[in-house]
Amino acid sequence: MSSQTLTQKILSAKMERDVREGEIIFPEPDLVVVHDWYSANAGRTLRQFGVERLYAPDKVMFVTDHEPIAVSAESAAKQAEIRDIARQFAIGHHFDVGRGGHGHLFPVEAGFVTPGMFVEAYDTHVPNYGAVGALGFPMLNEIVEVMALGSVWIRVPGTIQIRLRGRLTPGVLIRDFAQKLIADLDADLVNYTVVEFSGPAMEHISVDERFTLCNTPIEIGAKSAITEPDDVVREYLSERVQCDIELPRSDADAPFVHAAEYDLTTIEPYVAVPPIPDRVVPISAVAGRPIDHAFVGSCASGSLNDLREAARYLIGRRIDPRVRLFITPGTQAILRAAIAQGLIEIFSAAGAIITAPGCGPCAGGRIGALGRGEVSINTGTRNDPGRLGARDSEIYLASPATVAVSAITGRIADPREFARGAS
Amino acid sequence: MTDSSADFIRRGRCWVFGDNVCNDGDMIPFHFVLAREQRPEILKDHCMIGLDPEFPRKAAPGDLVIAGRRFAQGNAHIQAFFALRGLGLAVAVESIPRSSLRNCISAGVLILPECAGVTSTVHTGEDVEIDFRTGRLTNHTRGAAHTYRPLDEALLQIIQRGGWEAHFRDRLSARRSA
Repeated sequence: MSSQTLTQKILSAKMERDVREGEIIFPEPDLVVVHDWYSANAGRTLRQFGVERLYAPDKVMFVTDHEPIAVSAESAAKQAEIRDIARQFAIGHHFDVGRGGHGHLFPVEAGFVTPGMFVEAYDTHVPNYGAVGALGFPMLNEIVEVMALGSVWIRVPGTIQIRLRGRLTPGVLIRDFAQKLIADLDADLVNYTVVEFSGPAMEHISVDERFTLCNTPIEIGAKSAITEPDDVVREYLSERVQCDIELPRSDADAPFVHAAEYDLTTIEPYVAVPPIPDRVVPISAVAGRPIDHAFVGSCASGSLNDLREAARYLIGRRIDPRVRLFITPGTQAILRAAIAQGLIEIFSAAGAIITAPGCGPCAGGRIGALGRGEVSINTGTRNDPGRLGARDSEIYLASPATVAVSAITGRIADPREFARGAS
Repeated sequence: MTDSSADFIRRGRCWVFGDNVCNDGDMIPFHFVLAREQRPEILKDHCMIGLDPEFPRKAAPGDLVIAGRRFAQGNAHIQAFFALRGLGLAVAVESIPRSSLRNCISAGVLILPECAGVTSTVHTGEDVEIDFRTGRLTNHTRGAAHTYRPLDEALLQIIQRGGWEAHFRDRLSARRSA
């Protein structure tokens, strides 16, 4: 057997033979995840094509994260339709309103996802599962082919290796690095690759932080992202899964299409400015810009660690009276932990509003939208014009620390200039 | 399934575009995306009008769209490719983001996706022939030819079948009769 990347190993295991980069294959995923804004369409398409039973309904999971609280009669009707589809097709796991939470976070948290798994999902940010060394591919509407027939074509992607060393300095979070990375990488090079993270720094990077690492590369055209699973992952999963945990990794001489190394010590706070997530500047370039709206959450930064980092700055402080701050715990379990650890009290006392677990405002601004000409700084995934409401509003993307201190000052601010609380 | 080599050959005038042709706006007006319009016969009259308002009237079936790097970049919406299909066009580009390549295949539009430097070898209006199976691009006007890496045969078959829907129906039928 020739040397392989982690991604090639995962796909080779699925095909029960060695696969090579560029090959077209039909691998069968271990888990298929469909999100609430698409589940109804998936059901309609299946019925339209005359599909009566799914290939492996026990492997299919419906999640409710984009609009857990129906905001209209139409939304409520759609939720009812999804329940009907879940029953008709005997969907194995239906996490309805108030169950689970964000589909890019809770399946990992709840032990559904383990190292070496191959997952296909409707939604684009399923590469999050790379946080525990699983390979997640978004398939958009072709996910119905996977539901009906068990697979869909993919081309075996190449891998870009990112080696990390050093430690982040105070006030700088992994989100700052994740944004800097996609600004640095050449989109043509990243196109259709898997971005794999490894290196000596990983022993200090939690699974919560790995969600963020794996979340951003798709914004510049990566097919997915993955971290080399290690003892951090093994420990995280030890209380969540019963089975033995294997830690597959790329061979030392695996054929990476590109490799780069970063020293996290050199990273500073970065902000993505409108209109694309990879237009990234050092915070000094935008500090002082007045804001109206701030938000901590989303699949990129909705973990307990993200909430804790925001709370460090908000403890004992109040946000600027001109700013509204939304906090969205990623999952039901994160919400419970945030209550137990006193974070929700800190947010509430600071003047923030807590939303239902899930995507929060990042799901198209259905809740907590921006009005005309307003400016937001938030931890969402994208900053396209109109993403959170009015098309002429402006969205800056930053770390939970930068968002928190900006909400306090009413202007984009540098967390390194703030004393952190004792939480 | 039967097919002949001729099914993968297109000859016509070429229409040359530069780098970074944008999926939404350049290739198809955004309101068709919002309206989720997917009928090629409707979308064809708006194909590429962000770059050339006369394009739908000038282009003829069999013509070839040739473009530079990052063709159909931006948010990948399939309407842009259903419009190309409606006009009966095929495509050769220097590069294309993965999500747009998938849309191109799903919409049933023949493509050569990795033609490095191709835009410097052709001018709009020249008589060009492409064999999408071998990757050979012949410029009959200039009497020159280049060969590029073709799309994988499995994907060409999906395109030839008519795109994702037809391919999905075929797989479903095969399962039912199995």
